[in-house]
Amino acid sequence: MAEFVSIMAMAHAPGVTGWLDSCPVSDQQAIQAGYEELGQIMRAAKPDVIIGVGNDHLLNLPLKNPPNWRVDCALDWTGPAEFFKAWLKQPGYQVRGRPEIAEIIAREARAAGHKIDRGDGLLFDDNWSVPLWYLGYDVPILPIHMNCINPPVPEPADCIRFGRELRRIVRDVLPAGLRVGLMGTGGLSHEPGGPRYFTMDSKFDRWFLELMEESDADRVIREATVERMNDAGGGGTTELLAWMVAMAAAGGTGARSVFYVASAEMRCGIGASVWSDFA
Amino acid sequence: MANEFDPDLPSNRLIFDIRRDNDVWPHFKERLEELMEAYGLSPAEREAFRAVDVRRLGELGVHPYFLPQVTRLFHGAAGNTTKSAAAEAYRRSFGDQIVEHRDISSEEKPHG
Repeated sequence: MAEFVSIMAMAHAPGVTGWLDSCPVSDQQAIQAGYEELGQIMRAAKPDVIIGVGNDHLLNLPLKNPPNWRVDCALDWTGPAEFFKAWLKQPGYQVRGRPEIAEIIAREARAAGHKIDRGDGLLFDDNWSVPLWYLGYDVPILPIHMNCINPPVPEPADCIRFGRELRRIVRDVLPAGLRVGLMGTGGLSHEPGGPRYFTMDSKFDRWFLELMEESDADRVIREATVERMNDAGGGGTTELLAWMVAMAAAGGTGARSVFYVASAEMRCGIGASVWSDFA
Repeated sequence: MANEFDPDLPSNRLIFDIRRDNDVWPHFKERLEELMEAYGLSPAEREAFRAVDVRRLGELGVHPYFLPQVTRLFHGAAGNTTKSAAAEAYRRSFGDQIVEHRDISSEEKPHG
């Protein structure tokens, strides 16, 4: 059977690569150090493929009746999409895919009842481009875009069930010896659209990071509701649904909070959780 | 409820499509009238676009996530700081509704 070698979740605010130099120096240093630590952890784990789960940002999934998930089966990607290059201050990158693994995940997840599409050629924005800036482009990736902001979004229970399904697929279905990294990306609190565009809820963020440290799925389902996430910032905070997928894939062990910065200039809580024991 | 919008609103289709079309988005401002005609925007939507009134676009049913992207289509995306032209256009549109982040830096220490 295959195995997880690294599981992490992190924010992907566009300013992290786009305008970090506008932040106070202490914020810059804390954010850069945090992401660099994530990169070191992922590289040390030597994955053969990184499965990523992140919000689609209304760039690929249809506006009407979107699926909860879309796994991309392309051989390779270029990113970010052109419209986002100046925003992210990134010149562009190339990264390989693992279509044969992607096909297995699409097939198995669909058979398990998940609302998942398959496709190829997804456009990337900050969802992938910010994490990959620090994780690197050498390891093939398997992107799963999820619908976090187009109601009705998958509930926390759906995301935990999906994470558990990914865990089953990796451990019971994927080829023996395959080393799998998993990255959930999105959040923390932010409201990209609406009157609270320039603020966030750091109290909520700290509470959520502690929730990941505990990794009690029942409590997450009960307390980290879509409504509560939207109260902390509509249109962005529900990206934390991707963190719930990572948490569930880890199998119930607690996470370590790697860093947290409530960054006014990023207009987002920036932080990360890492699971190092996969039960 | 957060993120409620009208997926059939022509403005939403326009914004969805244009970010994917590298032949169009660089010339968005110059082609605004042509694009609004092609997508069949209502008079109210057209007026809001002309005024870069993203608050009004939200009231008409544009997805909130698209609103700051509209200001970037008009004012550029590079250096999108809280003081950028795109951000200031966003503030002007929402006026006194805007909630600025309260500086609680003395309480907010990064932790590891």
